[in-house]
Amino acid sequence: MKERYKNRIELLQGTLDFIILQALRWGPQHGYGISTVIRTNSHEAFQVPTGSLYPALHRLERNGWVTSSWEMAKDKNREFRFYRLTATGKKQLAAEESKWNQLVTAIARMMRPAEEN
Amino acid sequence: MNDQREKREKELERELRDHLELDAEAKMDRGLGAEEARYAARRDFGNTTLVKEVTREMWAWSFLERFAQNVRYGLRVIRRNPGFTAVAILTLALGIGANTAIFSVVNTIFLKPLPFPESDRMFLVARTNNRIGGTNISLPIYLAWKEKQGLFDALGMARPGGTVTLSGRGDAEQIPAYVISSEVLSVLGVGPAIGRGFQPDEAKVGGPSAVLISDTLWRRKFSADPNVIGQTITLGGRPRIVEGVMARGFEIPIPVEREAQIWVLAQVPSTSQDPSNFTFCIGRLSHGVTTAQAESVLTTPIAGLHDLFPKMISADERVHLTTLRAFTTKRAGTAPLLLLGAAGFVLLIACANVANLFLSRATSRQREIAVRTAMGATRSQIIWQLLTESLLLGPAGGLAGLFVCYLSFDFVLSLVPADLAHFGDISLDGRVLAFSLLLGILTGVLSGLAPALQSSTVDLNAALKEGKAGGGFGRKRGRLSAALVVSEVGLSLVLLVGAALMFQTLAGLLRTKPGFDSHNMLTFAVGLPHNSVFGTKEKAIAFYDNFDARLSALPGVQQVSYTSVLPLDQQAPDTLLSVEGNSKFDGKSFDAGFRFINPEYLHAFHIPLVRGREITNADSTDSEPVVMINQTMARRIWGDDDPIGQHIWFGKPMGPASMEPAPRRVVGIVSDVIETALEQTEANSTMYVPYAQTHGPADGATFAIRTSQDPHTLTPAVREILHSLAPDLPLRAPKTMDELVSESVVGHRFPTILISLFGGIALLIAAVGVYGVISYSVAQRTHEIGIRVALGASRGRILRMVLTRGLRLAAIGAIVGLIASHWLTALLRDQLFGISPSDPATLIGATLVLMAVAFAACWIPARRATRVDPLVALRYE
Repeated sequence: MKERYKNRIELLQGTLDFIILQALRWGPQHGYGISTVIRTNSHEAFQVPTGSLYPALHRLERNGWVTSSWEMAKDKNREFRFYRLTATGKKQLAAEESKWNQLVTAIARMMRPAEEN
Repeated sequence: MNDQREKREKELERELRDHLELDAEAKMDRGLGAEEARYAARRDFGNTTLVKEVTREMWAWSFLERFAQNVRYGLRVIRRNPGFTAVAILTLALGIGANTAIFSVVNTIFLKPLPFPESDRMFLVARTNNRIGGTNISLPIYLAWKEKQGLFDALGMARPGGTVTLSGRGDAEQIPAYVISSEVLSVLGVGPAIGRGFQPDEAKVGGPSAVLISDTLWRRKFSADPNVIGQTITLGGRPRIVEGVMARGFEIPIPVEREAQIWVLAQVPSTSQDPSNFTFCIGRLSHGVTTAQAESVLTTPIAGLHDLFPKMISADERVHLTTLRAFTTKRAGTAPLLLLGAAGFVLLIACANVANLFLSRATSRQREIAVRTAMGATRSQIIWQLLTESLLLGPAGGLAGLFVCYLSFDFVLSLVPADLAHFGDISLDGRVLAFSLLLGILTGVLSGLAPALQSSTVDLNAALKEGKAGGGFGRKRGRLSAALVVSEVGLSLVLLVGAALMFQTLAGLLRTKPGFDSHNMLTFAVGLPHNSVFGTKEKAIAFYDNFDARLSALPGVQQVSYTSVLPLDQQAPDTLLSVEGNSKFDGKSFDAGFRFINPEYLHAFHIPLVRGREITNADSTDSEPVVMINQTMARRIWGDDDPIGQHIWFGKPMGPASMEPAPRRVVGIVSDVIETALEQTEANSTMYVPYAQTHGPADGATFAIRTSQDPHTLTPAVREILHSLAPDLPLRAPKTMDELVSESVVGHRFPTILISLFGGIALLIAAVGVYGVISYSVAQRTHEIGIRVALGASRGRILRMVLTRGLRLAAIGAIVGLIASHWLTALLRDQLFGISPSDPATLIGATLVLMAVAFAACWIPARRATRVDPLVALRYE
């Protein structure tokens, strides 16, 4: 069981980190919020399992790309653990983004060579 | 850290609960019932415990945490298996204890700096082309070096002072002394613990004579009275001012025969023509000066001295600086390092044995490991857990080893030869402590790693099934433990061979015929003070004659002889001489050991005269100067020609100031005697001169009395006679000649006893190892043996089967050991004498001993195997 989760983390690791950082771009968010944002923003294409999400969040926090604090939620009358991007996290996101764009362009070129002409 | 961890744990818990609640709320918003929504949320979430665990792994300290958990678990396992724990710790303690004890010696000799400030700047200054030998220089060289400014903060000279008679304080006593120039203390960077130290006028020729005394002497002879400073004491019949008491344990790091208790200030003249070569020069190099600079600057004045002393100083002399640490280390030789290697072998054997213990225990824990694996433990977790247990045992063994070392410390120290124990006491300091703990950790890893790796691969199906204890890895485990036993046996054999070689060397040396008969001889020294009673040669001769006559009258005394130096006690001083009228030696000098004797000497020692005549009482002060020489000297100078009647002239090559007034006629040739050490294969050139015909001041003599009974029984009578003749003269070091011979091999005894001890321990541990493996295999095969017996196998057959297995392992180990011995005993070559490192008889003998012990170790389990009751064995299934 555990192995299965781990494998998925590894498979997704680069992408998952990117997606989570991307989801935090619009402001602090708690874990459930992040998974909802990812799900809705991807039009239900990505469903991040909790067994990947929370390890990833804690890892990102250890890397110093996000920080967390217990804050009052606007719509609920209680505190949740909110994650927010740090300065290095923003840099990391920018780097991942340009890498991603390069990848997309490259793949697009390979898929539609005719358009280049 | 625990608080922080707890907080984190709680936060994670809450975070995940929030997630579930938010999800359930969202699902309720979409129209699900409360119960249903909660259930769906939980289903979507997955396994909470697992999510927590993988998340926790992202925390940086989870490794440490798991380690702490392993430690707790390991401690529990160790507590629950006291027998196993005790055997493992005891085995490691023997190995680590042996290593720690030897390391404490090595630490002091090789690692610790000398106990002086900035000791790395302290150098022995010597010339390299020194014909006379060793590191000695003469006074003119020292004076020439001292003129060179700017190289050294201080440059001092020191020379062994033999012994001086301290009288006027209770019984007169001979005290070992060192003669030092005033700069020596500055070189060493120390001053007296009490007192003002030497005064400038005392260092000048003609000034008052000053001494420093040791703490030991101060306490023993002066009742630790601080008022002794500035007082005058009588040394060698002359008054000397005590200017200080040195700190306890102070010693000049250039050893003399007996540890000095008095340091006499040398009054160094400003010029000297004295060619005698008995001086050490030590210097404290100035900051910023390199040894190469100092060497080149100091070489120039030596070349100048060559013109003055062409025979003593050659034209191409060079100067060499050695740090005092390097000098003392070199003197220690390689024996301590060899012993450390041998102790390392013992430790490896102990590790192999403990590894085997772990292996056999892992087998009984197979089901536990299988269950943990089935519950989701990964292989690395299992390995870490098993390794943690051995990592706990290792340092425990280290501590126990330290205790073993502490218990055996006095014994080890008593073996260390005095000239190794110099300079800094051998003690259990922080470094030794760290060493033993480090060894503990190392042995923990070493003995735990292989078993842990091996045991972590469990065949779940086989292990979890009821029944067969052998499980999935019996075979692999068997191979590993057999390999461990083989290496134990092999290493033990190497140690056994080493011990046997050393032992035979020692025994061989003690069997060596030194050319004289050492049995039933009592020896002692009598020092003559330079005072009015004994100060002249005539008075000394009269005293010795009188003493001689009284001793000869004692019942049980056969001959009374005396000499300057006893063979095997100290080296007879070399004297330069010229051979008169011999064309081969024309203009060349020859050096030979010199000793004075009385006419009875040869008879007392049973040294045969080869040719010519012996020295008699007729060879007196007034008669023609004569000399006897030994066979080696006769052969080296005259070859086949007859030396009798030829003349040699003492000191002639050294110039008019040092030569005897007339040549000596060779009157007799004496059979060769081993002079300096039993290892000698060829005797030194030696000359015997009648005491009456010696020149210079009256010297102390060493007596050797041939007795017809136990020599020691005569000591009281001898002391009484001496006291009645001269109440102020001490009887020094009464010993039998046999004791002297035995003391001369003390440098061999130290490594021999320790290596033998290590060999014994190794053999014991290896025997336990063989026993363990064979017992285990018998226990494993109980079922099989039961079937064999049921099918009609005889007891003898079973016995043979088990013995064969054990002896086969031992034989493979022996072969490995013999091959290893071939390489390793070559390292012993320096320590061996009269025996080749690959002596076949020794190799065969050691192998037989080893096989016999292995046989004994297999015998008990083999007997047990023959008593297997087939009914019981088969029911067990």
